[in-house]
Amino acid sequence: MIELNNISKSYRTDTIETLALQHMNLSVPAGEFLSIMGPSGCGKSTLLNIMGLIDEPSEGTVVLAGREVTDYNGSKVARFRNEQLGFIFQSFHLINDLSVVDNVELPLLYRKLGGKERRRLALEALARVGLSNRATHFPNQLSGGQKQRVAIARAIVGKPNIILADEPTGNLDSHMGGEIMDILTRLNKDLGTTIVMVTHDERMAKRTHRLVRLSDGERVS
Amino acid sequence: MIKNYLLLALKVLRRKPFYTFISLFGISFTLMILMLITSMGDALFGANKPMSEVDRMVFLPALSRYTQFYDTIYTIDSVLMDDGTMRYDSTFDTEEIGSNNSDGSMSYHFITEYLHGLSDVSEATAFSPSSFVDGYLDGRKVTFRTYYTDGNYWNVFDFNFLHGLPYGKDDVDGGNQIAVLTDKAATEYFGEASDDVIGREVTLGDRTYRVGGIVARPLKDDPTIQGDVYLPVTTMDRRALDAKTLEGSFSAVFLATSPGKRESIKKQLEFLAENFVMPPEEDYEEIALYPGTATEVFAGGIMQERDYDLAKMMFFIPLFLLLFLFLALPLINLINLNVSRVYERKSEIAVRKAFGARSADILYQFIFENLVLTFIGGAIGLILAFFVIRAVNANDLIGIVRLSFSFKVFFYFIVVIVLFGLLSGLLPALRMSRTNIGTALR
Repeated sequence: MIELNNISKSYRTDTIETLALQHMNLSVPAGEFLSIMGPSGCGKSTLLNIMGLIDEPSEGTVVLAGREVTDYNGSKVARFRNEQLGFIFQSFHLINDLSVVDNVELPLLYRKLGGKERRRLALEALARVGLSNRATHFPNQLSGGQKQRVAIARAIVGKPNIILADEPTGNLDSHMGGEIMDILTRLNKDLGTTIVMVTHDERMAKRTHRLVRLSDGERVS
Repeated sequence: MIKNYLLLALKVLRRKPFYTFISLFGISFTLMILMLITSMGDALFGANKPMSEVDRMVFLPALSRYTQFYDTIYTIDSVLMDDGTMRYDSTFDTEEIGSNNSDGSMSYHFITEYLHGLSDVSEATAFSPSSFVDGYLDGRKVTFRTYYTDGNYWNVFDFNFLHGLPYGKDDVDGGNQIAVLTDKAATEYFGEASDDVIGREVTLGDRTYRVGGIVARPLKDDPTIQGDVYLPVTTMDRRALDAKTLEGSFSAVFLATSPGKRESIKKQLEFLAENFVMPPEEDYEEIALYPGTATEVFAGGIMQERDYDLAKMMFFIPLFLLLFLFLALPLINLINLNVSRVYERKSEIAVRKAFGARSADILYQFIFENLVLTFIGGAIGLILAFFVIRAVNANDLIGIVRLSFSFKVFFYFIVVIVLFGLLSGLLPALRMSRTNIGTALR
């Protein structure tokens, strides 16, 4: 599902060149739940951004869902993200002015779908994360765990093949973090969605199929 | 999608009431002033009755006569000769030391005798505006601004006849004492401006006229149409009408066959002036005519400048600069407010992009939101303008001119709102549509 071939990423300023990733090779088969761990600044988020077509590699190729996407840009990349990828962020990034169900609908706005169909799919996604009764609430009326469940519903509403989660339990206590992991595991199992999760928490990482460790921009395991 | 954007736009506006108030205040106040200006521009220069054909009109309000003075200067040299005698040598030179000119309205004789038969003219009228004549009824005196006109006057200017008819060429030729009154004058004199007034007698000066028609008072402050009473030219003082002088109390307006033909008429009139043979009894040597369009004559009059192109530049350039500044200041302010507003929503934009929004989608969304804001501001401005215009009209704050909400003004208004919305939203939206997702979500 995800093929990273010889990926390097460097950031250049006028005087310094920082190497964030070095000759990284990674293959994630369809349906795998993979976790990535490593100390801060080791390149975890950069790796996730490259998989999510948010950042471009300086070197190497990215193949997602069987398509070579390294050179995708503009509306092509936007469409690919919309159809194939779902994102979950550590700090949720919900839109406070929109209700829960409107937040979940967001990815569908960029598809050719009628309002009723969008609403139906959004409510279905909310049911999957157990938040049907909060559809008309606003994000600031929810707890951290509930917000992250809304974010998960938003990530899965478009039925993407890949979900990229950047420390999804990082801002939650262990109980809520556990609940989020339950949902992600269930999604992976029930829908066969490929999930790549960056985490700092060994316990969470242990619940995934495979763990990749990074250090200084390189794979160490 | 649109519904979603609209909901979000309204929520964003509600979230920051003070920001929204400042923005709306700026927009609505600016748009109200613009509305007043466009309404005034339309009232002054627009093609409204009775000057619906203003785009075809060439105005000739006056005639200029002038003479140049020359003086002979003698220079005398004196040389003392050896034999003690004085020798004188003299030279002389003539040079222009000044000119004398007289500007004024034209005589009926000059217009009818010299200015007829021009090509590209479909109608031409001569009229004597603005003599004040007293009307008497039951010992009551009412002073009317009176226009003496030929029959063609009613063909050139399409007055709105509420009752009755205008007088025609035959009435003028026959010296028939028929009057056309404005509804205001009729009400002042008869106490009503109804059909019953037609045929009744009105005493003006030492003559009695029959009312032939009642027109709606022109809501334009233009010296060619601004009368209370209109009378056939042949009923004015015969000495003034028959005088063979060049100067008199008349103006002329020519209706060109098409707007493009106005230049041709102006050229013909200028040519006529250049080749004019001065009658021997005149004190002046040459004449000049300054025919112009409505805007040219207006700008020329205000700027006291005969070169109409220069007059227009002198009048309109500062006006447009002022208008531009007036628009630019709130526009820049709004752009500034918008930039800070969208900056706060960086993470929303990044999330939208992460979930598949194209840069264009973000651009549309922010421009749409800004249009919602400007349309709300516009609606408030429209209501404000409505009340201000009503107050201006009710209190005659700008004289006779009546401001109105025409479709045309409304159309300009919508154009201005859309432009305002686009201009003030485009720059912030463009900036935000280029947001880098990775940095914004860090």
